[in-house]
Amino acid sequence: MSYIEELSRELSRRGIGGTTRRRILDEVDDHLRSEPDAQERFGAPAAIANEFAAELGSHASRRAAFVAFAALGVAGAVYAAAFVSQAFANPPSETLAPALGAVALASLVVAPQVAFVAGALALVRALRRRGRAIPTAELTVLRRRTLVALAAGVATMVALALYAYEFAPSLAGWWTTATYASATAAGLLLVTASVPAARAARFRPELAGSAGDVFDDLGVTSGDPWRLACAVALAVGAAVWLTGIVQGDALDGLVRGILEAAACLAGFGALGRYLGLRR
Amino acid sequence: MNEELKGHLDSLILAVLASEPAHGYAIMQELKARSGGAFDLPEGTIYPALHRLERSGLLASGWSSASGRRRRVYRLTRRGRTGLESRKREWRAFSGAVDAVLA
Repeated sequence: MSYIEELSRELSRRGIGGTTRRRILDEVDDHLRSEPDAQERFGAPAAIANEFAAELGSHASRRAAFVAFAALGVAGAVYAAAFVSQAFANPPSETLAPALGAVALASLVVAPQVAFVAGALALVRALRRRGRAIPTAELTVLRRRTLVALAAGVATMVALALYAYEFAPSLAGWWTTATYASATAAGLLLVTASVPAARAARFRPELAGSAGDVFDDLGVTSGDPWRLACAVALAVGAAVWLTGIVQGDALDGLVRGILEAAACLAGFGALGRYLGLRR
Repeated sequence: MNEELKGHLDSLILAVLASEPAHGYAIMQELKARSGGAFDLPEGTIYPALHRLERSGLLASGWSSASGRRRRVYRLTRRGRTGLESRKREWRAFSGAVDAVLA
């Protein structure tokens, strides 16, 4: 097997195909023809292919995180607009929610928070690792964060449409129509934004290094992730409680605050390791 | 030496291309010549770096034909030239500080 054939095979093995592989092979072929002993100094095909995969995989994964966050921004605007405008469209009583309506309501509380947190974490890690090859374990974390963010974003848009459908009899027609249209458009945008993430997953480099944890995202020296999660949950719970006080119902605010803090810790427990927040 | 060199490879490539556009093989030869043979990386490592610099917008490239051979020729972009100047300033400040400590 010639050097070029071996390099071609290694590039395929690392997920590099199409015009990129063709271009690399053409450049290397030209290089090797420049001198009779150039091949000896060129390096092992497996190492060269791995280096390309690390570069391309890192670039594609970072880009996927940026695209996902931008799409989530649009979905977030749709979500916010739907709830602000609902005040003018005969909002239904949450206590009279039909079964699917209750599911939609619960999803509309949980899914956007998961989408925002996962998307923001992906964005932060992508920005922190800008301009250099990312270790394989960290690349996996970055891709997971992006995909979880997009999946939760799609779930939010589905829940929004389901909410509009379930409560259509009591809501103004213009609101349900606008919500169906905007939730569908934003949902499709999120699905489209998953294409770069799927493309990034094709690259399979092997680069040593740890996936890091939440302290790598924050750029501070290491600490106890659980302690940090408790502090964040406490802060979020307190903020929700304060909102309740400002709205004139301190008890309701306190209950919501406790639930929010508990959900925060549950989310950290369930997804913390998967999303690279703790080791 | 090679590991340290990898950390500065981007700047060195930009510096080589500042004088004139070149293809991968010529860049490698120029690196060796300018360093008096001290920079002796596996030659293949230059290509991932060239592709990375092009993706960053610091280099542009295109195919050219010479003596019946297709070659990918790289040139510095305006952004690449600015980037090179900034890297030179950083390096001089850093090496000056190291020299001051070592002296």
